[in-house]
Amino acid sequence: MGVVMPLQKAMKKSFKQVDKDDSTDLALFVRTSEEDIIGWNRQRIVNALLRETFIDRDTAERISIDVEKTVQNSALKTVTGPLIRELVNAKLLELGLEEARRMHTRLGVPLYDVDHLLVQHNKENANVPHGPEATNLTLAEGIKKEYALLHVFTTDVADAHLNGDMHLHDLGFIDRPYCSGQSLEYVKKFGLNLPNSLAMAKPAKHADVLLAHMVKFAAALQSHFAGAIGWDAVNLFYAPYLDEMSDRQVKQLAQMLIYEFSQQAVARGGQAIFSDINIYWEVPKHFVDVPAIGPGGEYTGKTYGEYEKQAQRFAWALFEVYKEGDGAGRPFFFPKPLVHITEKFFKTEGHMDFLNHICEVASVKGNTYFVFDRGDTAKISECCRLSFKLEASDLEDAKEPWRMRYSALQNVTINLPRLAYKAKGDDTKLFTLLTEQIKLAAKAHEQKKKFIEKLMELGKGGPLAMLAMDLDGNSYLRLERCSYLMGMVGLNELLKVHTGEELHDSEESLKFGLKVIAHMNIVCNKMAEQLGMKFVLEQTPAESTAYRFAKLDMAHHPDETTKVIQGDTESGEIYYTNSTLFNVGAKMNPIARVEKEGLLHPLIEAGSITHVWLGEAKPDKEALADFVIKTFRHTNNDQIAFSPEFTCCLDCGKTGRGITDTCQYCGSEKIDGITRITGYFTKISSWNKGKLGELHDRYRNDKCFVTK
Amino acid sequence: MTLFTKPECRLCDQLKNRFDLKGMNVNIEVLDTGDAGALAHLAWHGLVETARKTLPILVLDDSSTVDDFSDIEARLMNRADQFGIKYNDSTGKAQVCETGACAIN
Repeated sequence: MGVVMPLQKAMKKSFKQVDKDDSTDLALFVRTSEEDIIGWNRQRIVNALLRETFIDRDTAERISIDVEKTVQNSALKTVTGPLIRELVNAKLLELGLEEARRMHTRLGVPLYDVDHLLVQHNKENANVPHGPEATNLTLAEGIKKEYALLHVFTTDVADAHLNGDMHLHDLGFIDRPYCSGQSLEYVKKFGLNLPNSLAMAKPAKHADVLLAHMVKFAAALQSHFAGAIGWDAVNLFYAPYLDEMSDRQVKQLAQMLIYEFSQQAVARGGQAIFSDINIYWEVPKHFVDVPAIGPGGEYTGKTYGEYEKQAQRFAWALFEVYKEGDGAGRPFFFPKPLVHITEKFFKTEGHMDFLNHICEVASVKGNTYFVFDRGDTAKISECCRLSFKLEASDLEDAKEPWRMRYSALQNVTINLPRLAYKAKGDDTKLFTLLTEQIKLAAKAHEQKKKFIEKLMELGKGGPLAMLAMDLDGNSYLRLERCSYLMGMVGLNELLKVHTGEELHDSEESLKFGLKVIAHMNIVCNKMAEQLGMKFVLEQTPAESTAYRFAKLDMAHHPDETTKVIQGDTESGEIYYTNSTLFNVGAKMNPIARVEKEGLLHPLIEAGSITHVWLGEAKPDKEALADFVIKTFRHTNNDQIAFSPEFTCCLDCGKTGRGITDTCQYCGSEKIDGITRITGYFTKISSWNKGKLGELHDRYRNDKCFVTK
Repeated sequence: MTLFTKPECRLCDQLKNRFDLKGMNVNIEVLDTGDAGALAHLAWHGLVETARKTLPILVLDDSSTVDDFSDIEARLMNRADQFGIKYNDSTGKAQVCETGACAIN
């Protein structure tokens, strides 16, 4: 019956009706999941039960006879495999065989839901457009999500996710790690040699071919990771290919790179590859003496320290392209450029010109992310905030940069406000509940790890063949180096419940918030030691999670939630404040926000960000440069991004500043807004209700900076 | 005034043995023991990254910080004098952490 049985020759079988006065023979046919119509065979029910569950043959036979009678009495001429399975499951339920029923269950989506999905845009991920590829993605994700909750995670973990105590991210991608960071050196050295590929390419000899390899490799990676694909020191690793290129050619290459990553709308569900490129003005210390790989995958005879000027040329060109925007003057959504600000940056010639250049881009288009690597910290960043601090072993790998591959296997986010509801003002209870939740999250991580390990063991013949490829002697996914992320949503609302004040309201509230995150940090470290897994806190981007938790808590804790929820309860545009961010609507001076949010950042080792929303303001580049320097020198803030807002007209095609109801140029009402949702730019029309609520509340720093 | 320390930090122990810190009204915060309050206090002063490299760290009454060991000793000697509290002579041991244990994990 159903999916796994081999096709059989169609058979006719007669039944005698239950009513013995009528001996008419009936023919009954079954539509199977293998797209065939075959004759009824009760034995198939027995075989499926024996194969898929642990019940004994006699019980299986009994169930099959009962189901056969039911079908007989229904007077149906044709039944489907799914219907038979449902009838069998009902029998299992009747008999109290819940475990068997669970194992025998069918995963899938109701007809009604599919009908809706095909026509209505799924806004869980603002990055996924609406189209056939996207609905394929949604449907497949739906099945894998069910599978994960039934079969990968234990009931306690699954229930905690379903009821909103915590959120297991990307369940629909259960058979993939979460996100990754890597080096272009891998592609430069080994060429493009992917499992299941129809052709193999030797290492690129020219920059444009290297770009082609990079984009294809990124697309292949995107189909093996749930989240972001980050690339380290991109401008530096391209540098050996730029020697013979004129400035115009370098600019052309920069344009090609950005357009390729922005327009690669086939990677998954029709979305662009969620890509990040890490950029350095200086040559990072750990690469200075590393022999450079150049055309053909050969060593050039120089070290990367000698390619500083070429790397800078490319970095400059990339930001020129970002400044111009796309053909309609809109900001590019991807790849996201993360510029690392370090001590060495300030000692490198030309750094102020470059800082002004990237700040101009930040002001005009908003693309630039400023990542602060203070002291001797080195990081590779991916995603809107996730970063991996490079440990001593990683810096050892830097001598052969193709080995620098990092991954977070999973992210689990904790619903902080709910803990406060349960604690009812009792500190001890709050921290006890928090500890229990982190332990459960750690259990979820263990289960995901076990599942991925099982898939990786299948090696190059398995579903994760690409991650198992070992061109450098190690599998591409270095499981032993993976991190496991613990995220959080709604610290601000937890404090509102527990202390009566929000993060920005008082020093006492902020100090208590610090204590909550410090506690999470400590428990994670303890769990890491206990389980031998690298648990690290991360500021969850929470694009949909902040909304999901808010909705669930309104349903399950309405009295408490109504008092603290953000947004508009009438319209349903409700949300919890992301992670450890301050209330987005708090009228705070941006430097104060950056400074105070930054106090929490060192405790959140996998990365944090502070957003400075600009609205329609277009600050002076020098003002932003000054702000960046102050942030680096005088705060502990991990990363900042300035986010202007735009309105694009679908009629005249022009892009204006700020979010308006009509086009500023032609007056059309057919417009769409663009700004940062959590950590990337996207069209506002694709945002979920929670994020729309947050957008309305954001305090725009449009009068806080000098403008010309 | 607050002194951030941790267990098995030789330099931290040296200071604790040399000075009557409580008598001098110096608050001792002990890190890496599961005390979230101590870690939060460290974060409040923006010292988490510093503590990952070196301990002890002294936070003065005006919230400025000192992480150079000799400087810390000098400040504490001053403080002891202000409070009229005696302190032990220096051990003469090297003022560097040989084991790498003088930092938080």
